[in-house]
Amino acid sequence: MAHLGSGALILALILAIYGMVASLLGARRRVPELLQSGYRATYAVAFLVAVALIALVIAFVRHDFRLAYVAGRSSRDMPLHYVIAAFYGGQEGSLLYWTLVASGLGALALYLHRRSDRTLLPYMNATLLSVVTFLLLVLTVVSSPFRLLPVTPPDGAGLNPLLRDPGMMAHPPLLLSGYAGFTVPFAFGMAALITGRLGSDWLRAIRRWTLLAWTLLGLGLLIGAWWAYHVLGWGGYWGWDPVENLALLPWLTSTAFLHSVIVQERRGMLKVWNLALLLATFALSIFGTFIVRSGMLSSVHAFAVSSIGHWFLSFLALVLVVGIGLLVYRLPGLQSERQIESVSSREAGFLYNNLLLTAMAFAVFWGTTFPLFSELFWDTRITVGPPFYNRVVGPLLLVLLLLMAIGPLLAWRRTDVRLLLHNVRWPAMTGIVVGLIGLVAFSRPWAAAAYAVTMIAAGVTLQEFWRGIQARRRNARENVFLAAWELLRRNNRRYGGYLVHLAILLMAVGIIASNAFQLERQFVLRPGEQGTIGPYTVVYRGLEDRRMADAEIVAAQVDIYRGQRYAGTVESFRFFYRNYEDQPTARMGIKLVGMDDVYVVLDRWQDDGMASLRVYVNPLVIWIWIGGVVFVLGTLTLFWPQPVPALLRVPQSVVGATSEA
Amino acid sequence: MSGAVVTRTSTRGLRVDVRLFGIAVVIAAAVGYLLYTGLQGTAASYFVTVSELQAKAESVDGRRVRVGGDVVAGSIVRGGPADPIRFRISDGSSELEVVYAGVLPDIFAEGRHVIVEGLYRSGQPIQADSVLTQCPSRFEAMPTAPTS
Repeated sequence: MAHLGSGALILALILAIYGMVASLLGARRRVPELLQSGYRATYAVAFLVAVALIALVIAFVRHDFRLAYVAGRSSRDMPLHYVIAAFYGGQEGSLLYWTLVASGLGALALYLHRRSDRTLLPYMNATLLSVVTFLLLVLTVVSSPFRLLPVTPPDGAGLNPLLRDPGMMAHPPLLLSGYAGFTVPFAFGMAALITGRLGSDWLRAIRRWTLLAWTLLGLGLLIGAWWAYHVLGWGGYWGWDPVENLALLPWLTSTAFLHSVIVQERRGMLKVWNLALLLATFALSIFGTFIVRSGMLSSVHAFAVSSIGHWFLSFLALVLVVGIGLLVYRLPGLQSERQIESVSSREAGFLYNNLLLTAMAFAVFWGTTFPLFSELFWDTRITVGPPFYNRVVGPLLLVLLLLMAIGPLLAWRRTDVRLLLHNVRWPAMTGIVVGLIGLVAFSRPWAAAAYAVTMIAAGVTLQEFWRGIQARRRNARENVFLAAWELLRRNNRRYGGYLVHLAILLMAVGIIASNAFQLERQFVLRPGEQGTIGPYTVVYRGLEDRRMADAEIVAAQVDIYRGQRYAGTVESFRFFYRNYEDQPTARMGIKLVGMDDVYVVLDRWQDDGMASLRVYVNPLVIWIWIGGVVFVLGTLTLFWPQPVPALLRVPQSVVGATSEA
Repeated sequence: MSGAVVTRTSTRGLRVDVRLFGIAVVIAAAVGYLLYTGLQGTAASYFVTVSELQAKAESVDGRRVRVGGDVVAGSIVRGGPADPIRFRISDGSSELEVVYAGVLPDIFAEGRHVIVEGLYRSGQPIQADSVLTQCPSRFEAMPTAPTS
């Protein structure tokens, strides 16, 4: 298996270099055969990388401990799904997976666009293959997953206990797919710059591929937050850890791109800006992949520090130099076709949205890399913690939510302010009432303001849905449900986008509450004793020892009462995995009572059963996960296939509607 | 006539551009302000090794620091569930006493590289409010050698 895998990788490397050269030569000399052969090389590369990955998975399943990578990450007593998931549990395997997603999606893009964008494709292919070549070079020369051990151990070390969690099945593959997925829109963007075909024909393709990567990355982040919430016992879901921040950065810039690309499609503006965002997104993906392995920043994601950092830094520099160089070279061809006519137009609204999103990205980037820069300039490493990010990003987020409230009501070119005020009056009044009630009831001005803004944005979004549904009911004589369905299906880009807005607002409800109203207490209790936190009483029942195939477990049982009423029992665990006995891994006991999460961490204990428990009450966190579900629905709507191009469809349905009327 | 129209739209275009630029400047200034006050007002801490901390103990006295070092073997005093944990960290040449009352991260143990953060008063053990663990050796664990 090891020979098959490393052989496939070397062959893939050779083919990738060949395909790159063939595409460039074929495009310059206009040799269609050479171009065809270049495309086939990409398909073959994707296939060979898949073969290598399957070989690695088979080595894991068969417990082939001759491979250093397999022996370091799995053991015989691990459940099968963790054995398989272990293949991306380390640097080599996750890079192999990255390569597979990049080359696989790239090959898919080549296949799907094979009849269109003829002049773009060779350069798109060459860009894609140059990224893949770099990754394959790293995988074959620096850090091969198929390195053999001199002596085969009888059993492996097993996966780090922190990674043995259902979150492991979804978070790393989604996040890495998101990172890798940005390769395809980047390749399209570079191809557009190289060929100078900077019109809007490539935009549709780029937008869809960016949307895919953005969705995957967003889901990866969400599931990562869920995982952290369940496993890392600090009571939260987002710790502003450098690795989290770096994964958030490309998501922020691609969110900006997905908004501003609409302006380019509709009005032919912001071309340079869009390409710069595309370049920044890909560069940040590479940066995020590399810096966690460079040991330059301290993080809870303790990856092994390795020499691989230099490779990634050089590649990043190359990407930036070539990308910015091409952008400057093509600057004359990237003039806007129109100008923004009014500061209250929809295009201006998108511009503010972009400024805010990039400002947030910049603030997060600044805070994350501040230790590096402060050491460079002032000779002291200064680090910033969560309070810094909350203080900087919080207000920006609030303004962004306000913009989310107004944006959908802005008209292209120019907005009639009286009409805008008329349209926003009900949501605004609801929001202000909510804010005032919040202010009186909780006397937290920031939280009250945040809820007021969230309410206004939600009101406007729901009002837009309601108006769309009403229009369909009138014109097409559909009932409410059919009208809502058809609205999402036919106008999927607009209303799918609004669904995503609603998802963000639902998450905001949970994020604001858990930031402003979280309770935390530490109890030292003997079995039978109780403590109170907020409206809750926790009764500690005692410890229980259990045993699994690969671990011993200590479980603390805690009854939760709200007032006098029994609300449920939670168990908070510590797992002692074989080979990792000095690392008692926690699993939180979380009980949803009403809208509050009662969150119990088992800290330490004695043989007589006395234990210290840390208890948090996290209000409304459930809305973050509900928002996650809506996010998935919204993005699925955005991908809803449109069988007939929308342009052909609109007149037909209008004709049908009028003849019925 | 048409010339007049063009100049009118272009001056208005210019005015819009100026206003947009103004808004962009306001946003940039707000971000700059937030970054600056964020850095001043919140707990930004000096990231040092144990020896560096002791070398400039004077200048960082009473400030938040973030110190990296390895947990000294045999130095961990856990006490009962109610007591704070005490341990020492070392960077090879000097040692620093740490007191921590929170929940330890799962992968905390002797010999591990940790980063503690908290208020520093020279001559006293550091009262840490956060302990981060880093364990390159474990995430990239080598297989257990066949014992026996």
